[in-house]
Amino acid sequence: MTSHDVTIAGYLVVLAGIVLLQVLATRTRAPIPSLGDMLTRAMRSRTGRVGVLVAWAWIGLHFFAK
Amino acid sequence: MSRPAPGPEDRHAHSPGADGGAACADTVVDAARPAGRVLAALAGFREPVVWILLAIAFFTSISGKPLDGVLMLLVAMGLAWDAGRRALRHAGADGTAAQAWPGRLRGGRRRVILAGALLAGGAAYAGVVGSFSRYSWPVTACIIGLGTIVVLIGWHGPVRARPASGRLPVAGTLAWIAVLVAGCLWELGALLQQPSLTTDSYSHPTISTLTDPVLATSPGRAAVLLAWLALGWYLVKR
Repeated sequence: MTSHDVTIAGYLVVLAGIVLLQVLATRTRAPIPSLGDMLTRAMRSRTGRVGVLVAWAWIGLHFFAK
Repeated sequence: MSRPAPGPEDRHAHSPGADGGAACADTVVDAARPAGRVLAALAGFREPVVWILLAIAFFTSISGKPLDGVLMLLVAMGLAWDAGRRALRHAGADGTAAQAWPGRLRGGRRRVILAGALLAGGAAYAGVVGSFSRYSWPVTACIIGLGTIVVLIGWHGPVRARPASGRLPVAGTLAWIAVLVAGCLWELGALLQQPSLTTDSYSHPTISTLTDPVLATSPGRAAVLLAWLALGWYLVKR
């Protein structure tokens, strides 16, 4: 297994973790908030709301802008 | 004179400690005293979000994207200043800005028209901006323009009021934080193992490197932009 494969496997593990937590949150009675609940909670304050939206804007900047 | 029903931010403002951040600092800082003023002015820097944005600004800048870094820095400083200003004013923090926008969008027909207009606008935006080369000035202007509008909307307040959610389960919340932090650290690890911060590595690809083939084509850019717009719309409605 090359370093390239290991790096990609790491991303896939993280992605699988996100999907697993979201499924557990929405399809079971496990005490796990959904990602939407987490975002809603984080965006209750102005700084949290602006921070999340800036993170979203940064994604666009990072992938497309100079 | 009747006061509108409190929105989520009002509840937050009257519940010091609910967030544990500087959004509530106005309730604990005595701005009448000089020391209190200094503390209040620095209150914004007690916000974790400000430090996260400063970290993004730093790493983005040293990764060869100074414009991103400057923009992140501006927002971080603006947020810190805003929190400090609110602390000085003792004005109930986000209360006035937190009201959901008036319910002018209610009504089934208007909602359908709005959804159609947003879909058409989003598709047009993605198609046009996706046709531009990456890292060109036109695409940069379009991304900065839309990003600025969305952030200003968020600064103004939530688009619609949401009922207060109870406390999140601690264990589940920690599980989310662990996974997301692990993802960030893995990406950071890949970035630091590149030959340089501005040189891609096949052995240790970052997410940016992995998405390059998709973003090399105009349809790929348009598809990713559509997903980005959908995510933005989802967040604005939170």
